[in-house]
Amino acid sequence: MDTETSERLRTGQREATLEARGLRKSYAGGFEAVKGIDFRVYEGECFGFLGPNGAGKTSTMRMIYGGAEPTGGELTVVGLDIRRDERNVKRRIGVVPQENNLDEDLTVRENLLVYARYFDLPRKLAQARADELLEFVQLTDKRGAEVEQLSGGMKRRLLIARALVNDPDLVVLDEPTTGLDPQARHLVWEKLRELTGRGKTLALTTHYMEEAARLCDRLVIMEGGKVVSEGSPRSLIEQHVSPQVLEFRADRGSLDRLLPVVEETADAVENREEEVLVYTAAADALLEKVEASGIPIEHTVRRQAGLEDVFLRLTGRSLTD
Amino acid sequence: MKGRIRLPSPRGTFRVWQRNATIFRKFWKTALGPNLFEPLLYLAALGLGLGAFIQEEGIQGQSYPQYIAPGLLASNAMFAASFESTFNTFVKLKIDRVYEAVITTPVNAEDVVAGEYLWAGTRAALYGTGFLAVLTALGFIFSPDALLVSSFWALLIPPLLLLVGVMFSVMGTLFTSLIGRIDLYAYYFTLVVTPLFLFSGIFFPVDDFPAPIPQIAWFTPLYHAVNACRELASGPSIGVLVDVGWMVVFTAALALVPIYFMRRRLIS
Ligand SMILES: Nc1ncnc2c1ncn2[C@@H]1O[C@H](COP(=O)(O)OP(=O)(O)O)[C@@H](O)[C@H]1O
Ligand SMILES: [Mg+2]
Repeated sequence: MDTETSERLRTGQREATLEARGLRKSYAGGFEAVKGIDFRVYEGECFGFLGPNGAGKTSTMRMIYGGAEPTGGELTVVGLDIRRDERNVKRRIGVVPQENNLDEDLTVRENLLVYARYFDLPRKLAQARADELLEFVQLTDKRGAEVEQLSGGMKRRLLIARALVNDPDLVVLDEPTTGLDPQARHLVWEKLRELTGRGKTLALTTHYMEEAARLCDRLVIMEGGKVVSEGSPRSLIEQHVSPQVLEFRADRGSLDRLLPVVEETADAVENREEEVLVYTAAADALLEKVEASGIPIEHTVRRQAGLEDVFLRLTGRSLTD
Repeated sequence: MKGRIRLPSPRGTFRVWQRNATIFRKFWKTALGPNLFEPLLYLAALGLGLGAFIQEEGIQGQSYPQYIAPGLLASNAMFAASFESTFNTFVKLKIDRVYEAVITTPVNAEDVVAGEYLWAGTRAALYGTGFLAVLTALGFIFSPDALLVSSFWALLIPPLLLLVGVMFSVMGTLFTSLIGRIDLYAYYFTLVVTPLFLFSGIFFPVDDFPAPIPQIAWFTPLYHAVNACRELASGPSIGVLVDVGWMVVFTAALALVPIYFMRRRLIS
């Protein structure tokens, strides 16, 4: 055992599959989409990049898979410097891009076979793997179909199968479920959970907090090209918001009168255009107090706090704005 | 890193070529027909129609159909490679985004471009071989004493057309790498391809024109492709080496420029 490995075991450190330090991306024209971010993704983990449109998620993914060149900082992918070892990095990762780019001139199965050739997979192995992956993403009976005959959810699943053709050490997925109906989304989630179950390392972006909460072991919240927070979904919620949320909806006048009543006891209050959000650990007491005040409230919702609330607390705006 | 010129890898180049070949295998039969028919139309209309008026003298000791047939082989290769490197490449670049997917694999952007060069050349050579076979047969059937293709050197025409195809692919890809809209190809075809087709010595000898016409022609690519095809079809002189050399140097000198620009389009 070399000293580095024993050192890692002693300190309980795990191997980082993906690591960024001070990573930056400016596009031609000078716009800086990623403004110096740090993250570390460990082997076998599902790591999320949660943020609204324009946060810099795709720019970050593109730097990982060689679709964009970093303009600053360090980026190590599967232990290799992306700047010096681009080809070898690409050999060992799988990519599901944000926009579908399946080869429309090829059938479903041919898409996998031709892709396998880009990785120099021997023919026999490529065929076996293509069939196995079609089975995995439940597209076996579509194997001879043209790509344009597939539904949105099927195309996404085929993209996932394609990303696995080279048996990658890291799979990068950019918004794997955006635009899918709930049923198709659940199927994709199921497949991604199966992958993490097999020990694959995943890095995915999403602007659905539910997706991040369900799939990710750890995540970073991005906004405006920066990482605003980092942790497991649960620790992020514990760290930034109280466990319970009360949403009050009413006309503006009533809401304005409500504010001083709730502000006294709440942990935090989010005053939005048509509603007031109240974060608290003592929801019952607070509700009683609001009732006692006699202020007319049209609609009250009581729920558990989620990542959406974390995002709102951190940035003052909602993920889906 | 940005701006560094990268050389394509043979392996990646081959993989891109192979992708196109896989797809071509599905539709070559339907694609071949028009590609053979079009040069035959020219041969019939000009070779026989116009040729009837210059039948007596012919050109440079050849009958008119004999004179233009090898030139049509060269222009056919130019058209095949030009369509491939303009419209087809544009669709793969901007519409189907095939390249975007390919470059996330160990195949790099520079391999994509080189693979497309090689593919355009292959396609030009394949069509050219079909057309060459038709010309040879037509000669034997209709004019056995003035064969359209009369030399065994003509066996070198397919590899020559590969070179011609790669050369025009480099030119077409250069244009593709610089434009953002597909309708701009009208300029390329009207201002580059068509003038080359008309003034490269396919239909009349440009060498007999007053200066500077022959000198200008010497600096254009199709002129040399036509010369080389004509020489190989009827038995070459040593001058064919100049034409081939010109095309090799021109292609090599230009080949890395589209690679540079395409890489910048594919990787931001
Ligand atoms: N190729 C590009 N050139 C210039 N600006 C870009 C380019 N790609 C993305 N951007 C800009 O960078 C910002 C971040 O975009 P992106 O990384 O796609 O974010 P996200 O994936 O989180 O929505 C956006 O403002 C976007 O307009
Ligand atoms: Mg994005």
